[in-house]
Amino acid sequence: MSAAWKAVWRTRELSTLFILLAEIAFFAWYLWPEGGGRHPFVNGENGLLILKYSAIYGIAAVGASMVIISGGVDLAPGAVIALTSVVLGHQYLEAQWSLPASILAGLGVGVLAGGLSAALVVLVRLPPFIATLGVMGITRGLAYIVTEGRFFDVSARIPPNWAPLGVPLDWIAPIVMVLLTVVFQLFMRHVQAGRAVFAVGGNETAARYTGIQVGRIKTMVYLVSAVLASLSGVILILGQGQGKADLATGYELDIIASAVVGGASLSGGRGSVVGAVLGTLIFGVLRNALPQIPGATFYDRLIVGLVVVTIVVVDQILARRQG
Amino acid sequence: MSALAFEDVSKAFGGVKALRGVSLSVAAGDAHALMGENGAGKSTLMKIAAGIHRPDGGRLLRNGSPVDLADPRAALAAGIGLVHQETLLFPNLDVAENIFAGHEVRRGWFVDRRAMHERAAALLAHLHLHIDPSTTVAHLSAAQQQLLQVARALAFKCEVLILDEPTTSLTDSEVDHLFTVLEQLRSRGVTLIYVSHRLPEVFRLCKTVSVLRDGQHVGTWPLEGKSPQDIVRAMVGRDLETGHGEGKVGDRVRLDVRGLTRRPYFSDVDLQVHEGEIVGLFGLIGAGRTEVVETIFGLYRPDAGTIRVDDAAFAPQAPADAIRRGVVLQPEMRQSQGLFFNLPISENLLLGREAARDGWVRPLGRERAECEALLTRWGIKAASIDVPPDSLSGGNQQKVVLAKWLLTAPRILLLDEPTKGVDVGAKHDIHHLIREEAALGMGCLVVSSDLPELLALADRIVVLKQGRVQGELLRGASEEDVMHLATRADESDAA
Repeated sequence: MSAAWKAVWRTRELSTLFILLAEIAFFAWYLWPEGGGRHPFVNGENGLLILKYSAIYGIAAVGASMVIISGGVDLAPGAVIALTSVVLGHQYLEAQWSLPASILAGLGVGVLAGGLSAALVVLVRLPPFIATLGVMGITRGLAYIVTEGRFFDVSARIPPNWAPLGVPLDWIAPIVMVLLTVVFQLFMRHVQAGRAVFAVGGNETAARYTGIQVGRIKTMVYLVSAVLASLSGVILILGQGQGKADLATGYELDIIASAVVGGASLSGGRGSVVGAVLGTLIFGVLRNALPQIPGATFYDRLIVGLVVVTIVVVDQILARRQG
Repeated sequence: MSALAFEDVSKAFGGVKALRGVSLSVAAGDAHALMGENGAGKSTLMKIAAGIHRPDGGRLLRNGSPVDLADPRAALAAGIGLVHQETLLFPNLDVAENIFAGHEVRRGWFVDRRAMHERAAALLAHLHLHIDPSTTVAHLSAAQQQLLQVARALAFKCEVLILDEPTTSLTDSEVDHLFTVLEQLRSRGVTLIYVSHRLPEVFRLCKTVSVLRDGQHVGTWPLEGKSPQDIVRAMVGRDLETGHGEGKVGDRVRLDVRGLTRRPYFSDVDLQVHEGEIVGLFGLIGAGRTEVVETIFGLYRPDAGTIRVDDAAFAPQAPADAIRRGVVLQPEMRQSQGLFFNLPISENLLLGREAARDGWVRPLGRERAECEALLTRWGIKAASIDVPPDSLSGGNQQKVVLAKWLLTAPRILLLDEPTKGVDVGAKHDIHHLIREEAALGMGCLVVSSDLPELLALADRIVVLKQGRVQGELLRGASEEDVMHLATRADESDAA
């Protein structure tokens, strides 16, 4: 029995999924409506809501977890989401571009921000924390300069009940998240360039001596991280409607926490895309369910912090036991 | 009376017996040499005396009474200090902080920096070492760092000072300085244990010699009246020639390096490796050996010179280019440059080939069989190919680093210290496999500080000194011949 549990924990994707299911079961029981009636937490509409909001984190976490596995860290996703929403809104509303062109402009933010992070890390050899801290400041700052305190209400120009390719707007984020998770999980596990990310994160010097093009691998992960953050920003503004400079503030830390909860090591070489995305769902459920518990609203951040610490500590204890 | 005695001490590392019941004693005030081939157990025995390893069996006597040296602190408290082969210092701290690390001079709760610096200055003056105690250690030369370790041992009032190959990175005049200091210490009653494989140094400094072979004590003799040949015979336990397995050296030049220059490390290096040939590249530390092979592997660009591989121009932009052209390097630092401890052995074996391939998709299945075949052929003892290499012994780890390149079907194998820190058995296996690969037509260029190893393995030895080729020696040259080339003062030194 205990050996089986340990095996589950060792496959960190499975243990993260188990934590998520246990969390859902807990809230289902705790929030059970007295005297029957509609369950405030376990219902289709709420489930979609959780997925829709978690996916904003989840899509960005796919790329951010790759950066973490490579031994780096990306602090820019929140700011990239904001600048993307602002650029898309500006081009669409003020410059009167078509929606597809505006979306491409928004994604351009990701390419530029990722390219800048990669250049600072690979060419200038800045520590990733400093490089992406800088990019975070620049990106967020540009968002404020473009908006000058305004916001772009994109929803006004988006037709009601708009469903691109027949998919309702609310469903786009979850579907994109699942697709990206599957694609990048497979990439990281079964494609040479994906395995090289693990090698670079595990031992960068050995990677160089093994013939792995370390610079290319790092450039790839920072680009993917920023472009996916940007994509997340596009989806956020299409669904939510407003491009603003203070959007997604602090998301980067939640995303890093999700990756860590999903088994990533901040010293690199360890972690998974699926784990990170499941991690964002764990926090998504917390953010959704806690406000429904009377009096718990103010405990939100505290509980999130405790959950991160607990999961990581248990993980380390088990890892140490394995020896 | 014996200052330090070992009684039936044994120690194993993961199945490999490093020491099998060693008993020997060192008289107080003696200068005692401890000799043996690499892997004979010298360093292990000395690390036990310094409290770094604990023996599996047997005991240590200090001045006749048993001592339990649980950790380096306990050894220092018992008056036993070890000067490590590789300098173990804190490069970011200053000289005084290094000397007193762990037992800082304090006044109440605070470190008394001024008192500490004064005491450090006194110790350094004692060693004729003219450096400011507030210098950061990173700025010191290798010799100064070596002496700093001596100072640290003296700060602990050590009466037994163990020196483990202290001169490997020193110049002749630095060696002289060290020896002057050591002579003075001995005349003041400090017992010296000197671990080295350099016979001239041993004859110069020591009075007594103990020889270890394959983890066993062969004997202890006064050095007076012994010849170097007597000691070598005791160390090797056989005639030196028997280890040679001469392969057939072909006529085709596989690697042709001409005028290769990368300042300030080496300049104008010419060397050729033929089909089936094992060429040794020897030189003292700082001679530029590692830099030469790393440049051939494409890790750095040369300033000048040409390389040809199988008669085609070769100018790799990156290691991946070199690997694609069949040139591979086993780097010097196994742990930091060769292995991924977060990945299973299978991937450690495969990553090199995969990285050189431009393809994106990593097929599975067939490769597992390849990896398992490699483990069998190389005799790598591992639970499976799915565990990370951290559970392997040093020798098996080194075999993994070497084996991964054979998957790329290389033409030229560059080996940088292929048997550094591996046990006797693995060393033998690795030599055997290198000869086997050479016999299949590969060209091997071997860098090694282990001169007996190079003499036994190489068909030809190229000697470097300060980045320049000093000469070549054919099989059959003696250790003295090579050392003479590697250390001789030439015109440029005199000028």
